Amino acid sequence: MKEPKQLQIGRRSFLKITAGAAALSSVGLPKKAFAGTNKQLSTLIDLSLCDGCVDRKVPACVSACKTINQNKIPQVAEPIPEPWPRKTVEDWSKKRDVFKRLTPYNFIYVHKAEINVAGRKKTVFVPRRCMHCDNPACATICPFSANHKNKNGAVVIDQDSCFGGAKCRDVCPWEIPQRQSGVGIYLKVLPGLMGNGVMYKCDLCVERLAADKSPGCVEACPREALLIGTRNAIEKVAAERAGRMNGYIYGKKQNGGTATLYVSPVPFEEINKTMTKKPGQPDMKVDVPRRMAGTDPLAKAVLAAPVLGIAAGILGWLSSRGDKTGKEE
Amino acid sequence: MTDKILAEKNLIVRHGVLELIEHWAIALSGLVLLLTGIFELPVGKRYYIIDVPGLGWSADFITSLSLHYAAAFVFTVAAMLHVFYHGPRGEKGLLPQKGDFAESITVIKSLFGFGEEPPMRKYLPEQRLAYAGMAFIILMLIISGLVKTYKNIYAPDLSHTVLLWATWIHNIFFILFFLAFLAHMAAIALRPNWPMVRGIFTGKVRLDYARHRHSLWLADVEPVQEPPALTVAEEQAPPEPEPEPVQEDSTKD
Repeated sequence: MKEPKQLQIGRRSFLKITAGAAALSSVGLPKKAFAGTNKQLSTLIDLSLCDGCVDRKVPACVSACKTINQNKIPQVAEPIPEPWPRKTVEDWSKKRDVFKRLTPYNFIYVHKAEINVAGRKKTVFVPRRCMHCDNPACATICPFSANHKNKNGAVVIDQDSCFGGAKCRDVCPWEIPQRQSGVGIYLKVLPGLMGNGVMYKCDLCVERLAADKSPGCVEACPREALLIGTRNAIEKVAAERAGRMNGYIYGKKQNGGTATLYVSPVPFEEINKTMTKKPGQPDMKVDVPRRMAGTDPLAKAVLAAPVLGIAAGILGWLSSRGDKTGKEE
Repeated sequence: MTDKILAEKNLIVRHGVLELIEHWAIALSGLVLLLTGIFELPVGKRYYIIDVPGLGWSADFITSLSLHYAAAFVFTVAAMLHVFYHGPRGEKGLLPQKGDFAESITVIKSLFGFGEEPPMRKYLPEQRLAYAGMAFIILMLIISGLVKTYKNIYAPDLSHTVLLWATWIHNIFFILFFLAFLAHMAAIALRPNWPMVRGIFTGKVRLDYARHRHSLWLADVEPVQEPPALTVAEEQAPPEPEPEPVQEDSTKD
């Protein structure tokens, strides 16, 4: 299959094509729509291209992300209120430079995987960040809807309404969101009893997308290992590249599907073997079921419940009328 | 109408079987919804609830959600059945009536020894007001819950504005539901209301209690004491002359 021209060129042209298509389809729509914020987007991470920026102290994607988000977290309360009764405080404010794991101040890091493939040693670099799942439990299960999936596919935490309960981290198969205690709305409510900060993670640079810019990591990658585009286009590129390198795709089925597709020349089972799941360092298991899918049948029953209740009520009423008429006769 | 006097047992039927089923379906599923709703907040681990025997699942949000859905199914079916069965039948005894608010205050004052209770119908005025309040709370919980459920399955990218409305309505009315439940329990705890508690378990309350406290209800239910039928002879007999009015001597005393 011949790769579409715009996809061979790279991210800049890719974005131009995407924006151009959006422009054609959104004549008369406000600027925001033109910026593609309502088009479903995906990103591609091509592990055959990523070299981990070994010549730099900090990989370019990580560095760009840090720079963009450096002022995101407000001043942390001093001292941080001690939660009761479990006294867990997560404070990264004095370790902002950490870049080898996810933290509230670091939304992407690069894992180095040393793999033996057919007796040959191969090094693969794997940028890790939020996968932006298609049906993200982290967002749907947030009790305050502070975490929300946008129309463009970005899963975004609103730091002004997040209480930092870390529920999103608990239900994320990769435990991506990271908590910073001592900031956020909980400080104004009952800081000792309820909430514990704000959860932070990659938001796909939604503000930059709205301004027609690529996410920082995509724009900064010197090897164009990261791409962004419309969902269909990225899926096509991923399939094409995986086919060409006789490689593998990750993210298409995991957790019910995600808006992040990894393409790799080596199996992800092998990559996963090099990863030990730790706080801020997710693994890369291939079998990642969407746990919430198990609740879908019951949820559908709930949606049907009003109709069932109304039908039962009306049938009961009609039946009682029949009984009454019979008795009267 | 299920109301029926069982004079030989000194009882009167206050609730039919269906009403009992509706009440308990909503009550028990409502309690499960309250509990699992609380467990949808990240409290299981923080408050060591997971260490309570039998509540190890309290920090597993997916398990809580499954139980929440199961209870929501029962809750919603029962609520809808209640409205669409009793509504068309014209059973309006629980709907608020004019003057209920003022009458409720009189009843509540009397419960604490201030003044007399007015004669009452099948339901107390404050019961009718509480019913309307609870019905509104339940309606809002069901509507907002349905929006959230729909989002969970089909539309994770639902409009954030719609979702925030649904979420906060659900959260606020969850608190109101909890407060209404506490108020309901407090009403039961009051001694004059104890005879009604039996009714919600068995469907029947004591007849002497009903006669004493719900006299307006009994007036509707009890057959009217008609005067004995007149015989033909009595009908034909000329009316007895009315006695001459006695002139009272105002100076007697």
